[in-house]
Amino acid sequence: MADNLRNVLRLWKLYARMDLNWLLQDRVNVIIVILSETLSNLASMAGVLLLAVRFGGVGGLSADEVLFMLGFFELADGLGWMLFGNYNVIHISRRIGRGQVDHMLIQPRPLWMQLLTEGFMPFSGCHGLIIGIILTVISVSGLNITLTPVWFLLLVYYLIIHIVLRLSQSVLYGSMAFWKPVACEEISTMILDLNNQLGKFPLFGLPKPFTALLHTVLPIGLLAYLPALALLRELGKETELALPFLVAGVFVTAALVCFQKGLKHYAKYSCNRYKEMGHRC
Amino acid sequence: MQNIAATDTKKWDTVVELSGVTKYFDQNRPVSLFKREKHRIFALQDVTFSLKKGEFAAYAGPNGAGKSTTFKLLSGMLCPQTGSVRLFGMDPNKSRIPVMRRVGILFGNRSELWWDHPVRASFEWKKAVWDIDNATYDRVCDEMRELLGIGDFWNSFARELSLGQRMRANLALTLLHEPELVLLDEPTLGLDVLAKRQMIEFLKKINRDKQVTLLVTSHDMDDLTEMANRILLINSGHLAFDGDYEQLIRMTGDNRIIKLAVKGEAPTLSGASYVGMEDGKHLYRYDASQTSVAQIFGSISQIPSVDDVELRHEAIEQVIAKLYQNWAKASALANHSQI
Repeated sequence: MADNLRNVLRLWKLYARMDLNWLLQDRVNVIIVILSETLSNLASMAGVLLLAVRFGGVGGLSADEVLFMLGFFELADGLGWMLFGNYNVIHISRRIGRGQVDHMLIQPRPLWMQLLTEGFMPFSGCHGLIIGIILTVISVSGLNITLTPVWFLLLVYYLIIHIVLRLSQSVLYGSMAFWKPVACEEISTMILDLNNQLGKFPLFGLPKPFTALLHTVLPIGLLAYLPALALLRELGKETELALPFLVAGVFVTAALVCFQKGLKHYAKYSCNRYKEMGHRC
Repeated sequence: MQNIAATDTKKWDTVVELSGVTKYFDQNRPVSLFKREKHRIFALQDVTFSLKKGEFAAYAGPNGAGKSTTFKLLSGMLCPQTGSVRLFGMDPNKSRIPVMRRVGILFGNRSELWWDHPVRASFEWKKAVWDIDNATYDRVCDEMRELLGIGDFWNSFARELSLGQRMRANLALTLLHEPELVLLDEPTLGLDVLAKRQMIEFLKKINRDKQVTLLVTSHDMDDLTEMANRILLINSGHLAFDGDYEQLIRMTGDNRIIKLAVKGEAPTLSGASYVGMEDGKHLYRYDASQTSVAQIFGSISQIPSVDDVELRHEAIEQVIAKLYQNWAKASALANHSQI
């Protein structure tokens, strides 16, 4: 356990150094990339925020609360991106479907350790996190929230839930690439995009079955909406704590089972990007 | 498998052991617009061989013979349908991590270099991931700079390297953790004559000096005869020959091909038989164990209109075809004598 932790820290240090090296190679280009990513992130939130400001709130949340929800989403998304954004770790279907698993299998490290560390980009991938922190601080200062240690613990809890849900969905749907590499890349990318786009919307007022669906099967409600409610209004209610944990647990288990099954399938049949008649599959 | 020279392999120094390995893939092939037919492709069929510590073996065969599948089995990426694969007595699929610490693998069509980083960064990356201590890292890097000349492009980006430089850097990276077994899949692929020579000399040196066990695939007969002291020929998933070069020559003849560029019709070449044309040049075959090179060049010197001469070993497909022909003949003779 201690050895594993030490190795993870060493590898994080290694990938952080590689990220910094990459950043310093072509500063102008990198600044343009970071700036455009920042603008793109802000633009993706502008629609919901402008609606909330124009109508004095949207989806059961006031304009300030919407800003908090968007800030939380950006914070969690930025943190996830910084930890797993590099080298297609978050888009694992691309790694599987493009033969990069072979490169992983020849390294004398457990696969989980490789996936946990290789995507780390604390320098070139920190823009989302910074925007998230700024938006959260601005929104909190405009809201009447008592910031206690429990509140911060809850914030960390929901951040972890957000990242675990995004990553486990990526691994779950991405593992299909062991069977159908190209099709899976499309499906996996669509699902990740769906999370990214719909996760920023308040869900209040939707029909109950639909809300239930969006809190379980396609858990976009657990990415920012439910955490925002819990952190702003109904702090510590049992369902708001237990439901994300349960859903994340189910997704993690399903992702691990599918990935293991996929690896076994890969060892048995390999993974062919092209069908016999030449079509991509 | 017929006529395979038995290898006396003791358990204690066995590095690689394949025993009765069969690997197949199923395909659905279209036979008409609506009809599909299940087709089973055997990449390997009942393949058995082992390698002792310090052996330098060439694993040769035509394209699609099963060479890369064998390498994927050895590196634990694939597992066989039947039979067993052992490296240092371990199953590479189940004991991936301890096996990978002792093995270096290089696939000719892939690169382990980090594309957007200087070559140096890939070495530093490997040092951390493989837990290589500072002293070993410095010593091996110095050796690689001297023997493979990687110092010339140490700070260049991997994406900017020429093919030869990239292969050298990849090979050096493969050897950085001082593996006891090195698996090289087509390491000379696409290299020019000089780079190929450097690569072969280097492989021979590490095999001789460090007792590194090497298994190298190739479909080039010239490379094989240069490199290895043991040849494993694989064809359509079957191990067709396992022995040294002398044994192979005894079974197939030491056939060489002469490519002659002359103006006009193909001249007669004493000691060699005419095969046909390739790229507008005339091809001849001769058996080097019967006719010397001096004799051949003596004949060529009599032809006034020669523009160019090229000499090479016979293609591996031909060597294998000859092996099968000889076995068929031997089997027919044996049947005849029994009657």
